[in-house]
Amino acid sequence: MTSSVGTEGQTGGQPLGQQAEFLAEKMAEVRREISKAIVGQVEVVDGVLIALLAGGHVLLEGAPGLGKTMLVRTLAQAVALKYSRIQFTPDLMPADVIGTSVVQENGDGRKSLGFQPGPIFTNLLLADEINRATPKTQSALLEAMQEKQVTVAHTSHLLEEPFFVMATQNPLEMEGTYPLPEAQLDRFLFKLRVPYPGRDDLHDILDRTTQGTAATVSPVVNGTQILEMRKVVRTVPVAPHVQEYVVKLTLATHPENRENLLASKYIRYGSSPRGAQTLILGGKVRALLDGRYNVSLEDIRALMLPALRHRIILNFEAQADGRTPDDLLEEIAGKICAK
Amino acid sequence: MLLREKINLAVPGEVSGRACISALRDFWRHAISRIWTQSQENQPSLVRAFNRRSYRPELLGLVDALKTIRERILANTLLRGWTRWSVWLLIGLIVVAAVSAKLAGVLLFLGIVAAAGAAAILAWTWRNRPSDYEAACRLDSAAGLQDRISTAVYLGSIDDPSGMICEQRKDALRRLEKVDPRGFFPVQLPGNVRRASVLVLVVAGLFAYRIHHQPPLVSLLQTTARSQLVQSIFSPIVHAMEKDLQRTIALITMKPDAAGEETQRGDAASSSDDLWKANDDKGAGAEDQKDSADAGTGDQPQDELQAPGNQEGTPSGEARQQDSYSQSQEGKSGSENADGKSQQSEQQGPEGRQSLGQSLMQALKNMMSNSPNQQSNNRANQQPPNGQGTPQSGNSHQPGATESDKRGESRGNSDAKQKATQTASEGAGSQQGSKELRKDQETHPINAVPDRVALEASGFKEQTRMKVATETGTAQLAVRDVSPQQDAVTNGAEQENIPARYRFYVQRYFEHADNGKH
Repeated sequence: MTSSVGTEGQTGGQPLGQQAEFLAEKMAEVRREISKAIVGQVEVVDGVLIALLAGGHVLLEGAPGLGKTMLVRTLAQAVALKYSRIQFTPDLMPADVIGTSVVQENGDGRKSLGFQPGPIFTNLLLADEINRATPKTQSALLEAMQEKQVTVAHTSHLLEEPFFVMATQNPLEMEGTYPLPEAQLDRFLFKLRVPYPGRDDLHDILDRTTQGTAATVSPVVNGTQILEMRKVVRTVPVAPHVQEYVVKLTLATHPENRENLLASKYIRYGSSPRGAQTLILGGKVRALLDGRYNVSLEDIRALMLPALRHRIILNFEAQADGRTPDDLLEEIAGKICAK
Repeated sequence: MLLREKINLAVPGEVSGRACISALRDFWRHAISRIWTQSQENQPSLVRAFNRRSYRPELLGLVDALKTIRERILANTLLRGWTRWSVWLLIGLIVVAAVSAKLAGVLLFLGIVAAAGAAAILAWTWRNRPSDYEAACRLDSAAGLQDRISTAVYLGSIDDPSGMICEQRKDALRRLEKVDPRGFFPVQLPGNVRRASVLVLVVAGLFAYRIHHQPPLVSLLQTTARSQLVQSIFSPIVHAMEKDLQRTIALITMKPDAAGEETQRGDAASSSDDLWKANDDKGAGAEDQKDSADAGTGDQPQDELQAPGNQEGTPSGEARQQDSYSQSQEGKSGSENADGKSQQSEQQGPEGRQSLGQSLMQALKNMMSNSPNQQSNNRANQQPPNGQGTPQSGNSHQPGATESDKRGESRGNSDAKQKATQTASEGAGSQQGSKELRKDQETHPINAVPDRVALEASGFKEQTRMKVATETGTAQLAVRDVSPQQDAVTNGAEQENIPARYRFYVQRYFEHADNGKH
């Protein structure tokens, strides 16, 4: 249980405490910059920033027109990262994503096969409407998302760090789509639901977008700083009872768990260990953003839904009863004693 | 989770006995495992090891605060446990004072129980006392410190904290200064102390009353028993019971003498004599054995003793005896039953020599022990006959078959019994009896002939073949392959109104149901 406690005193030349404060300040600035372009959606923005600092990827799900693409573009401007966008369509091929070998002519006139990198070679990749591409193309992202590299013609090409994929999908139009396989869903740190804006937010959106000019977002942090922040995040200590709570929560989603009748009745596949890792890592980032130096149970509870909702697969009975992953997780968490 | 919820989850929409037992078993296991886990969590490794730990000097203030919190938690737990225990003791005292005439011994016993219980609660509470870490968790929860204190306590033994641990410790102490940790854990009286005080008053009043009076509950019962209303309610019942008892005694003393005449007369028409039918059968069987000793048929007349009367549609016992005689004569030709019958005649030979009084006494015992079967037999015998050769006449074989089944387990196999029954029905002159036999067996109550009906009913629910009557005869067609589930799978999966992403689940669902069936 003590493995999560970092003992190294400094990273990046500064004391860890100062780095933690620096991280909190910078992220607050990034939030402010993003809020110039994005109205409301506080939880979504926080989730994206937590995933960015935890080193994971985000799947954004929401109806069209809610600002998903806008959010990613604004974030890319605020953190000064290279940004590219791929619009996923049914005829998109894996080579269109990761690149391919093409015949190139050298200076002396000789021809050879050279690798032409695809749009995946970037820092921040927006995979727009990812569920419209075929599973073959979707699978092209698997290696990139987990190992941060792509392999073309038996040659592996490392991707530049930080590599951050933000995929969007539309839950309404299911015709002509290919739902993401479980293996790929598991590679996303969070699945964030983008809600409709409220009344005040809608007024703000109208005021900002129909009058004057678009807001200018200035960069706050760069890729190197983000990598330093990721190291700081991993030094945040976790108390044993918090870690135990995460383990209990993860195990409670397993249908094999006889103690939890709810899971055995409604869940076909439970959360993988990646779910538990996500909860701890996300909790560490959330604690730092909150000005704390320890993970609390509150952090875990706040991140439970985005971290686990796409990692549990419901059975037919749950769908017939109209149960959703969110309400099942809430119910399961309510039954778990923290100590 | 409530037990009912568990049952509903385990067996949705159904609260059967098996589901209840299963849920109770799960609940019991869960409770035991939870108690075990809790006791494991509070083992000395957490409690005493934490006490021995040397905390850093900057954490001593925190540790002092935690020590106070632990003491207060311990005190509150003890108070709660003792109050609850005293409530139960006071209830026990009230019951004792209300019922028992002599209080000294009981009070001494209760005193010992009270002391033992209090000591046990003390030991249990001390064993499960909170550690520093657990006290810190409670403080975090009570003061909203977001696990700062518990994390600091957990990391408190690290000698050279640096980086994040040091920052965390500083942050925890900084936040602790803003709250009063002891204020969140005051020593307070438990919630049921009012109930206990009321009970103390009741006990005091009751014991003051007992100084000069009898136990109030005993006095109340005596007064009630003397009242006219109670006597008017109970006296008819007592009279009826007395009469019943006298009648039973008279029957026991009278029957051994009168039964022999009744057996010879064969007068079994009245319902009271039906009670003696089992013994009548035995006695009559013994006499029939004497009469038909040459034929060696000891079983057949017994089986047919009750049956032919109804077969012929004549309820009188005389006609029944005549029929039994005629059938025993006809039964001589039944060579296939000879083995079983000769065995039975050997077994029943000594019984036939018993005196009639002993037989009747035995019959009385049988009656007391086998009254349900007797009643079913009587019901079958008392069915009004519908004339000769009617389908109902086949029913009359069932009681006889039951009798033979009861006694015939050691006599022969079931084929012999069935053949004997068939022979009896043919011997009664009922031509339709054998044709209607299967139908009659199906309509008869199952508990009358359990082994034969079970053979018929075993394949009733899961019919794999269907009987079809054709011009050339009957044929049995296989219906097992025509599975409605497969149609449901196909139909269910091809429904257009099911979204594409759910079609797979629909198909899987029906396939699972189909697999479960087979």
